[in-house]
Amino acid sequence: MRRLLDRLYNAAGYLAAFFVFAVFAVMIATSVMRELSIRTGGAEDLVAWLCAASAFFAMAHSFKHGDFVRMELLISKAAPGPRRGFEILALAIGTAFSGYLAFWAARMTYESYEFNVMSDGLLVLPIWIPQLSFVLGSALFFVAVLDEFIAVLGGSRPAYVLAVEERHARGDFSEDI
Amino acid sequence: MNIIEISAVLLGVMMVLLMGGVWIAITLALVGLLGLTVFSGTPAGKSLFTAFWGANASWELAALPMFIWMGEILFRTKLSEQMFEGLAPWLNRVPGRLMHTTILGCGIFGSVSGSSAATCATIAKVALPELIKRGYDEKIALGSLATAGTLGILIPPSITMVVYAVAAEASIIRIFLAGFIPGFILMLLFSGYIAWWSIRNKDKVPPPEPPTTLMEKIRKSGKLLPCAALIVFIVVVLVKGWATATECAAYGVLGSLAIAWQSRMLTWKNFSESLMSATRVSCMIMFILAGAKYLSLTMAFTGIPRELAEWVASLQLAPFALIGVLAVVYILLGTALDGISMIVLTSAVVLPMILKAGFDKVWFGIFIVLLVEIAEVTPPVGFNLFVLQNMTGKDSNTIARAAIPFFACLVICIGIITVFPQTVMWFPDFVMGVSK
Repeated sequence: MRRLLDRLYNAAGYLAAFFVFAVFAVMIATSVMRELSIRTGGAEDLVAWLCAASAFFAMAHSFKHGDFVRMELLISKAAPGPRRGFEILALAIGTAFSGYLAFWAARMTYESYEFNVMSDGLLVLPIWIPQLSFVLGSALFFVAVLDEFIAVLGGSRPAYVLAVEERHARGDFSEDI
Repeated sequence: MNIIEISAVLLGVMMVLLMGGVWIAITLALVGLLGLTVFSGTPAGKSLFTAFWGANASWELAALPMFIWMGEILFRTKLSEQMFEGLAPWLNRVPGRLMHTTILGCGIFGSVSGSSAATCATIAKVALPELIKRGYDEKIALGSLATAGTLGILIPPSITMVVYAVAAEASIIRIFLAGFIPGFILMLLFSGYIAWWSIRNKDKVPPPEPPTTLMEKIRKSGKLLPCAALIVFIVVVLVKGWATATECAAYGVLGSLAIAWQSRMLTWKNFSESLMSATRVSCMIMFILAGAKYLSLTMAFTGIPRELAEWVASLQLAPFALIGVLAVVYILLGTALDGISMIVLTSAVVLPMILKAGFDKVWFGIFIVLLVEIAEVTPPVGFNLFVLQNMTGKDSNTIARAAIPFFACLVICIGIITVFPQTVMWFPDFVMGVSK
């Protein structure tokens, strides 16, 4: 189960990375096509959807990887006991919120599917198709936060803390802005 | 409840959540959710969906992963080694000698990278051991690296500027262009301080390197050519308006890939690691932006920013006084928050106030970026301090103390752009015409 979940988060992360690459490819392609006077209508919509898909699919993976920022001023100074309390509380809040987000993503996208809402840009498509990335990404994010919540309740140290410690020990700061 | 009580409740909840270590994006969205459900009749879940989808499915925002990826690729090349070798021979006769490689290196790397921590880490990785080995003063080296690293977000491209432009609905290109001149001013201030310090402390500056011939210098600097080409390319594309900011970012990625390939560092490992890193970082930022967008919806419903703007206007503060107060507030915020969070957290409230007081969005963008730079080097939470602490093993407070003179340069630079706003506005106006 543990390995299956971790693989799932990573797989979604790779998919998100593919979408980032796709943004790059589409942008280069459109600028070249414009020079050749080929019509590129709809490319902007496509890029926007790819951008959204990359963000949503990467959520679970980035969360586990410790990339989501928070204020660590207090908790980093807390003793291990209270610190665990803080982490559990933060994860409980995170679980509730990500569940709420995933629920509304699914509900609203289902609505646009039911009423067959079309996108309003140049690229006309049923809007639920690009919005599917929101539904799947936020659902997986919910699973990841819940999974972490259960793990920390069970006594482990949070994966997102370990990942950052390990990265900084290697001297890798490329993911800090 | 009146508007003051509502603001107090929302602010209180936000503080508690932030202090408790709840992720910033989630905090923003939760405060937004609270505001919408309790204080307005809007369906909160529906707006949450609209805000998150609208914030992320944005063509403008697609520049973000591109600029981040570009920096990630260059971070994994030999650019910094080449830069040190290329710059060093020219600095032999300047007071302060090789110490200036920190400033110039960060300035140049800053013009291909949009991140402060990455700039600091990249340049420090090479410059610090070389400087220490030659006997340069460690304190000055650490201070200048910590602070000059922040040039990464002032000299375009800049991730911070993209975030500000999206949050403030301002033109990305205009803000990028506005960063050039303050960036040069800041580099002059930093280098000026190093030169002044070196003249006063001659005994602490090691002897010059053996002189090299002009040909030798040029040959060594040839290694800088690929990077220079990339910078010239980005600047020209921006200035000429050939491509939008977003496309410019994609070409930046292409150029960085070419540089990596040319220096034989474009391995599959580097490629995939840089892409994955960029994906995660931009996901993190987009999540914060989405949360902030939701919060600003709440803000719009409650009318807090408008009331606050009117209240500030009614105080009839002199513009300088307002700027002074904001600078202090941001420096305080910056001790605890990272730059991106600071910007998105405040923009919904502060921007109406600033615009009402007659300041320009673009000018304020540069102002806020300079304050974020200060935040990066102020303890207890200054990211560049962490970077150097990790690389040297020195305590971050020691590094912060070493950075104090350079910190002062940043404050002077803020003073300069406040007294002479043309230093910010002239270049974008010159290139793109005066905006209406």
